[in-house]
Amino acid sequence: MERENRFWRVALLALPLFVFLALVIWPLLSSFYYSFTNWNGFNSDYDYVGFENFKRIWTDRLFFNAIVNTSIWMAAAILLPTILGLSLALLLDAKVRGSKIFKTIFYLPICLSAIVVGQIWVWIYQPDWGLLNTVIEQITGSRFNYAWLARPDSALYAVIVAWSWQQTGLSMVIYLAGLTSVPSDLLEVCDIEGATPWQKIRQVIIPLLTPSTVVVVALSVINSLKGFDILFIMTGGGPFNSSDTLAMHMYNESFRKYFMGYGSAISVVLFLIALTIIGLYFRQLKKVDDIYG
Amino acid sequence: MAQVTLKNIKKSFGPTEVIKGVDLDIQQGEFVVFVGPSGCGKSTMLRMISGLEDVSAGQIGIDGRDVTHVSPSKRDLAMVFQSYALFPHLTVAENIGFGLKLHKTPKAEINRRVEEVAKTLQLEALLDRTPRQLSGGQRQRVAIGRSIIRNPKVFLFDEPLSNLDAALRGKMRLEIARLHKELKDVTMIYVTHDQVEAMTLADRIVVFNQGRIEQVGTPMELYHTPANPFVAGFIGAPAMNFLPAEMLSEQQVRLGETVLDLPQSSALSGAVTLGIRPEHIEVSDGGEIMATLDLMEKLGSETLLHLTTPFSDSPLTARVDGAVELTEGQTLRLKFNPNAVHIFAASEVRPAMTA
Amino acid sequence: MADLSSGAIPRRFNPWPVTIFTVLFILAVLFLTPTIGVLLSSVKTTRAIALGDLWSWPDRLYLGNYAEVFSNPAVHRYFLNTLIVTLPATLASTALGVLAGYTFAKLPFRGSNLLFLVVIAGMFFPPQVILVPLFRLFNSMGLIDTLWPIFLVHTALGIPICTLLMRNFFATVPNALREAAILEGANEWQVLTRVVLPLSLPALAVLATLQFTWIWNDFLWPLIFTQSDEKRTIMVGIVNLRGQYTVAWGVQGALSLIASLPTLLIFLYFQRFFIKGMTMGAVKG
Ligand SMILES: Nc1ncnc2c1ncn2[C@@H]1O[C@H](COP(=O)(O)OP(=O)(O)OP(=O)(O)O)[C@@H](O)[C@H]1O
Ligand SMILES: [Mg+2]
Repeated sequence: MERENRFWRVALLALPLFVFLALVIWPLLSSFYYSFTNWNGFNSDYDYVGFENFKRIWTDRLFFNAIVNTSIWMAAAILLPTILGLSLALLLDAKVRGSKIFKTIFYLPICLSAIVVGQIWVWIYQPDWGLLNTVIEQITGSRFNYAWLARPDSALYAVIVAWSWQQTGLSMVIYLAGLTSVPSDLLEVCDIEGATPWQKIRQVIIPLLTPSTVVVVALSVINSLKGFDILFIMTGGGPFNSSDTLAMHMYNESFRKYFMGYGSAISVVLFLIALTIIGLYFRQLKKVDDIYG
Repeated sequence: MAQVTLKNIKKSFGPTEVIKGVDLDIQQGEFVVFVGPSGCGKSTMLRMISGLEDVSAGQIGIDGRDVTHVSPSKRDLAMVFQSYALFPHLTVAENIGFGLKLHKTPKAEINRRVEEVAKTLQLEALLDRTPRQLSGGQRQRVAIGRSIIRNPKVFLFDEPLSNLDAALRGKMRLEIARLHKELKDVTMIYVTHDQVEAMTLADRIVVFNQGRIEQVGTPMELYHTPANPFVAGFIGAPAMNFLPAEMLSEQQVRLGETVLDLPQSSALSGAVTLGIRPEHIEVSDGGEIMATLDLMEKLGSETLLHLTTPFSDSPLTARVDGAVELTEGQTLRLKFNPNAVHIFAASEVRPAMTA
Repeated sequence: MADLSSGAIPRRFNPWPVTIFTVLFILAVLFLTPTIGVLLSSVKTTRAIALGDLWSWPDRLYLGNYAEVFSNPAVHRYFLNTLIVTLPATLASTALGVLAGYTFAKLPFRGSNLLFLVVIAGMFFPPQVILVPLFRLFNSMGLIDTLWPIFLVHTALGIPICTLLMRNFFATVPNALREAAILEGANEWQVLTRVVLPLSLPALAVLATLQFTWIWNDFLWPLIFTQSDEKRTIMVGIVNLRGQYTVAWGVQGALSLIASLPTLLIFLYFQRFFIKGMTMGAVKG
């Protein structure tokens, strides 16, 4: 048996692993390599420059700007969809009329591309006839034409709202799935003990949903680290780099200014940050696994 | 010629040795039952015979052929799982014909044989259902049908009835016995925890313990002449009582204040362990062994007595007729049937076995 | 007995369902508004929008925007290109995920857990990290400005999530089924195709939907790997067309909707599998 198993393991794993190694692992390692060169993306000859690119990071004002923006972006892009998604899931779990349609409505934005979402929200934020300013004008009765996406103070946050709108549905679905596995006898015990709905949610349901939370947070981390498209389309990192994230910065350096070596160095830093978060995530996962099997 | 031969089989999972050298010959047409405590390696042994698990050392022969390194599908055997392992997306007929279809048997031939098997197992009316729509007993019949359709030489059963309720289990037990009689020359190896299944179905019982065979024999041999206290304690329910005793001579043993005469002489001397089955203890005014009645379990036709004796820490169980009237707390006089007394070396008895 | 029925407590009005419904309804309207905005824009003339009339209910449907989009040959090309990439890449990544997931779930070996972790860790790092080396690789192969790199990259980047979901699903398929099939004479490939895959349809549906959506909607990779308009996919195409229809908001709206249609339809079709598929895949990380 083991002999056949060995054959099948090789046969079944060969192709996926080959593709994965060739197109993910190998480029990852090359990225480390390029980060020590001054390759410009066109010339086939380039020089080994040691830690030059990494030193440059230290003096790159825009890099630190990007780090700050990435932190804000990630914190908000993780918290908002998670909290909103959980709330929606809890409300929907109450089995109200039409919950199926509600679910579909909340999930729909996930099907839209960042490009389309970006466009929709650009129109909402449009200063002259955008929905947001129109509503504000209706309410206050006076003219209002704040350019949400063109002001450094609000650009990043405006994109975060659009992002949360899109991502909430995903968290909601995962929480809904998690809720189906909350044993109903536990909730009945709560009813018998006379717990208020809020106590029930706070003390029983949310702790039991921890596995779902781990997944939701992990997915948010992944997605927000990748969050490039929507920023690219809504602000392009502007105005005045106020919404420039690491991914954006790396793109600009590599493909706009053709500092591929420097861009690689930035991506290595991005990778290390991701790695740290993955590490923390897996530790958390292990803890959760210990409790929830 | 033996149908299945196991030669010095060993199996380790990583550093832990689970099967520690098993030798066994099983004859053609024999019904062999594996019993033993949980985790002793019965399933592992069965899976090694089937080929699902490789042996770490030793040799497996089927029908005179060395199959140690032959893949499971080429060993010409079938297995029935505790969980039935029916394919949920296929109908009963498709489940039964699954193996034939894999072997590219013509459709008409498959249909004919599926119907034949369905008839034997009374499944004709269920052929178009899916497993979800069947009761536990029906599912197990389908699983059996799937294995008999290919006419394998050897059948392996791993606790096939343990997911069924008691009544159904009794019925299925009879069906398996009937099947064994009908399918002449088919060898069956059967793992169970159920004493009744083991005693009624088996031509021979193999008692496993911690990866070794303790004893092989017919049910009656194991019951009457267990080779060691482990087998004695394992076969028969409620289990045999073990009491500390002392040999006075070759045919005399002292139990507390009482001296029993043995019908046969024993080679042991000094401190020994005396084994007596609950059904061989009698409550009688002529009895010389005094015991206090702690608890009674009335089962209707019979009553189990749980007793304490002055000469042993562990309780003593006796099985008496259900009509006997006793009260708890009462002191009783017991009589041991001397023909049913077993003498074991004291060192052989480990406390875990009596549990 | 009579006491029981006569002593029934009068049903008190329970305010919760109504409250929850109202809250959900308001939220749903808020959630739908942006989408409805696009819908509205697509049936209005650019003039009307410029006059600040985007967010009002239209008196009459103006279909000129859709006519414009449908008659633009570039849009046809973008659609075709996207389809040529998305369908095969969805199939390929799902298939590779099935192969790897099956091995990790049913044929574990020493170190397989570690290997599995390495593979799914691929899900966590930002794809920008491998952008430059991939660009160089495909450049040296002369594949820049073809659809090949997009297909290959999506296939490769899909492996982690597909492997994770499929392994977790296959792990719920009892081992006894595989063993029973093997004893019936099936080889591993037959176990996979005749027993395990037919049982995995919900998981496959979820996975295919996720992959299709993600690949169809992707912007980064086509942006990097294609240069000529001939090879653009729909999302990059939309952005390009914006230059052409700078102030033609209505056309842009129609374009966005049409571009989102395939993913919307696929989701609506497979929706019934979603909660189930998610339970299997996601929760048991
Ligand atoms: N794949 C495996 N890896 C590691 N250990 C195993 C494996 N399979 C079985 N074991 C161990 O081998 C021993 C024997 O297991 P086995 O399943 O054969 O017992 P069993 O006699 O069938 O028990 P039961 O009566 O409970 O079914 C057990 O201690 C078990 O933990
Ligand atoms: Mg077992």
